Amino acid sequence: MSRLGHFARLIAAAGVSIGFVAVGSALADEAFITNQNANSVSVLDLTSKKVVATIPVAGKPAGIAMSRDGTRAYVTSPEGPYVSVIDTASRRVLRKFPAGRDPLGIAIDPTGKFVYVADFDIPHLYKIDVSTGKIVADAHVGKSPCGVAVTPNGKLIVVADRDDNQISIVDAATFKRIGVVKVGQHPFGLTIDAEGKRVYTADVVSNTVSVVDLASQKLIGTVKTGLRPYVVAVNGKYGFSTDEYGGTVTVFDLKTLKFVKRINVGDYPEGIEFSSDGSKLYVANWMSDDVWGIDAKTFKPVAKIKVQDGPRSFGTFIRKTP
Amino acid sequence: MKSSRFAALLIGCAFGSALPSLALAHGASRLKLIKSVEINAPAAKVWKIVGNFDNMDWVPTVAKTAGTGGDNPDNAKRVLTLKNGGKINESLYKYDPDSMSYSYYMDHVDLKILPVTNYSATLVVIPEGSKSKVEWRGAFFRGDPNFDPPPALNDDAATKAVTKLYVSGLTSLKQKIEAGEAIN
Repeated sequence: MSRLGHFARLIAAAGVSIGFVAVGSALADEAFITNQNANSVSVLDLTSKKVVATIPVAGKPAGIAMSRDGTRAYVTSPEGPYVSVIDTASRRVLRKFPAGRDPLGIAIDPTGKFVYVADFDIPHLYKIDVSTGKIVADAHVGKSPCGVAVTPNGKLIVVADRDDNQISIVDAATFKRIGVVKVGQHPFGLTIDAEGKRVYTADVVSNTVSVVDLASQKLIGTVKTGLRPYVVAVNGKYGFSTDEYGGTVTVFDLKTLKFVKRINVGDYPEGIEFSSDGSKLYVANWMSDDVWGIDAKTFKPVAKIKVQDGPRSFGTFIRKTP
Repeated sequence: MKSSRFAALLIGCAFGSALPSLALAHGASRLKLIKSVEINAPAAKVWKIVGNFDNMDWVPTVAKTAGTGGDNPDNAKRVLTLKNGGKINESLYKYDPDSMSYSYYMDHVDLKILPVTNYSATLVVIPEGSKSKVEWRGAFFRGDPNFDPPPALNDDAATKAVTKLYVSGLTSLKQKIEAGEAIN
């Protein structure tokens, strides 16, 4: 992008934001929802609460990683098996690249140059250069790796090794595993806090969230959730788990690690993420085929948006539009 | 198993064109199946039958149901004894009389009876004027969740078996209720 182009975009963005301010609204976020059973990705405008595009993506799309600048979404298709690169502005698949045998969990490094993909079938974590689509490094992790997350500084990658009941901590530079920490039974989704200090795993079978201190590589707490937690999201104050069987989101206090509230959502909730301003949470409900918006302060539902069959969005799926 | 996987990988690498056939083998994605039936009876009456977790005798393949814990999602369990002698163990985890629905999961099932793993389901009665609709929503994985399952334990086999269960069950439920047959 040329300087002039960038400047023009800034002016355009300012113009748009003034336009929105006039009607009392903020810049829009968009959610990219992987509809696994429908083989598609729905694009949701979270301001108008409408589906604004549907992108065909085959191979039962499940995992997703949004680049920090919001220009690219990387979607895993476990039955592809491949990763699709979506240009978020034009809503098009630019290319696909192969990614092992059973790619599911995916995360992106802060620079946007690499994605990290967990192969559920063979316990490997791949480092893929997004400019070439080639696997440039490969690390052994535990059995049936699912969720992947990267620390905000990009230095560590953490993987939930579901069938080994542990997380693997991988050094991004050497791409070697530097630690293993036992957590609850069958960790599926995981998230790292904004400070890069703690890892939270959603333990499907033990119905808990495990809290791990990254520096000491120690389990420092466990929180009871609703039934079958799949994914967890945190802000500075609370943690939120999507409880699949429960059809709920469990809210817990990050300081005391105590239960705060259980929120009813759609059926079989999975992917969960905050809006870019942190004021809302969005939850993809696999069985009821909808995405719910929840106010992060009042815990009340603020949006219910119908999507296609089997929404998961396992990963990061929300972007701030330019 | 390991060596055949490795061979498959090698073939895939050596001959790009061989990949489409390899694409048939894949990891397990969760399957969803929703079936419904319209019943010419008010929802409250239908829920009286469907909402009884201790009684699945309206399913043609079920010989008897033995339940403990009533409708309490914290501890209610049931054992279905099938007419062919097989048994299915299930646990209730959600019970909501206001929305006339309950959810349960299978603790154990012989794969020869139902080739699924991690099965859970919801039964719901939806009022439609003086009639009602009963919906059965299932979520499950195939019998063998590993990468390359035998045909009897693949996605198709799982979907077929659950479809048969739901369609026969709901059809029988409709017939019994509309004929005024007693279901204990």
